[in-house]
Amino acid sequence: MKIRLSSHLPATPGRTFSALVDPDVLRRCIPGCEELSPASASTGSGASYVVRLKVGVAGLKGSYAGRVTIRDQRPPEALTLGFEGQGGPGFVRGEAAITLQEAGACGVDKSAEGPPQSLAARTGTEIACEADVQVGGLIAAVGSRLVEATAKKLSDDFFRQVSVELSR
Amino acid sequence: MHAAPFDYTRPSTVDEAIALLSRHGEDAKVLAGGHSLIPAMKLRLAQPKVVVDIGRIAGLSYVREAGGRVAIGAMTTHADIEASRLLTQKCPLLPETAGHIGDVQVRNKGTIGGSLVHADPAADYPAAILALDAEIDLAGPRGRRTVAAADFFVDLLQTAILSDEILTEIRVPITPASVAYEKTEQKASGFALAGVAVVMTADDLRVGVTGVAARPYRAAAVEQALRGRRQPSPEAIEQAAAHAADGVDPLSDIHASAEFRAHLASVNTRRAIRRALERM
Repeated sequence: MKIRLSSHLPATPGRTFSALVDPDVLRRCIPGCEELSPASASTGSGASYVVRLKVGVAGLKGSYAGRVTIRDQRPPEALTLGFEGQGGPGFVRGEAAITLQEAGACGVDKSAEGPPQSLAARTGTEIACEADVQVGGLIAAVGSRLVEATAKKLSDDFFRQVSVELSR
Repeated sequence: MHAAPFDYTRPSTVDEAIALLSRHGEDAKVLAGGHSLIPAMKLRLAQPKVVVDIGRIAGLSYVREAGGRVAIGAMTTHADIEASRLLTQKCPLLPETAGHIGDVQVRNKGTIGGSLVHADPAADYPAAILALDAEIDLAGPRGRRTVAAADFFVDLLQTAILSDEILTEIRVPITPASVAYEKTEQKASGFALAGVAVVMTADDLRVGVTGVAARPYRAAAVEQALRGRRQPSPEAIEQAAAHAADGVDPLSDIHASAEFRAHLASVNTRRAIRRALERM
């Protein structure tokens, strides 16, 4: 499934980019992250981390162990996050292409439509995230109805948490 | 499919149940009718360490008139609500909605309290509960409190209830017969792709929508467009219904895209308002 979302973060693209590739920030911001440590065999340009997550919503939670890879880094405007995880309810793997753009920069049609004061207030970074996620196993066979809504909510939670980090 | 190991407890009073929940916190889950929790446990999407079965607590299953409203016990099954003569006379939207839930087996075991607390985004009751402006009673270690329907649904699968609280009662107003619930269901599961509940009174129109967004909502733009109109024309209804998904972020999955869900919200809003109007 494809998940597309956008978010506004209260810092310059440069600072935002650094936050998104900082393992300490990721550890604090990824919903349900219990462990995130460098993988022994990091490859070439990318950084690779071993993660343990307990994710889900409300009472529906599963534990996953997996790997997060950051690659195709083009600071401060783009990066790709690869992830794969395996747990009791099934497996999740996918890739998220993230692009960063300075808010209020030319060609941001969204803010152009808003009232003038909001234009002035929208400094920071507009983030666009396009993820392609595959979910398999039990969770896909039977629980699929809620998977997409859950994935979207977790992604929203992640960016909200990054936003809190950047406001510090 | 087997659930992960868990401890089973069966309190016989609400206070005992609350004490168990206070002791075990996030590790405990309340078992009501079991038609959402048990499948989730078998899939290991839920792995509570302690299950608190409230099925044997006496006095949680009833429908009765009290103080100008109808009070419904949390453990009242969908089938009992569907068959309730009191509700059919005084608040017909709820039995109509209950009849749309799942299948006979689900309706015979599933409970209104369990369904509301689980807060599945495609459950049927939330549309009616919002359109009725119902009151929901929660009991916990700090006593009892009442939450308005508008404040109850917080997010995907999340409500205002805390982990050490139990939903005990739902109260709905006495309404005229001019109500309706219209739903487009996902064929395999019966869950709502878009379900719209309408309550029309002499001076008010309330529209509750479920299945469309991560949490159920009142279609404020529709209500506003038709406010104060006693006999809206079909065109006015059509125009108002077009705003049924205004300001929400519709869900999107293999069963229905966001655009299709928003469209279904409008179609079912139009149908529900028309049917409610016919019953005036």
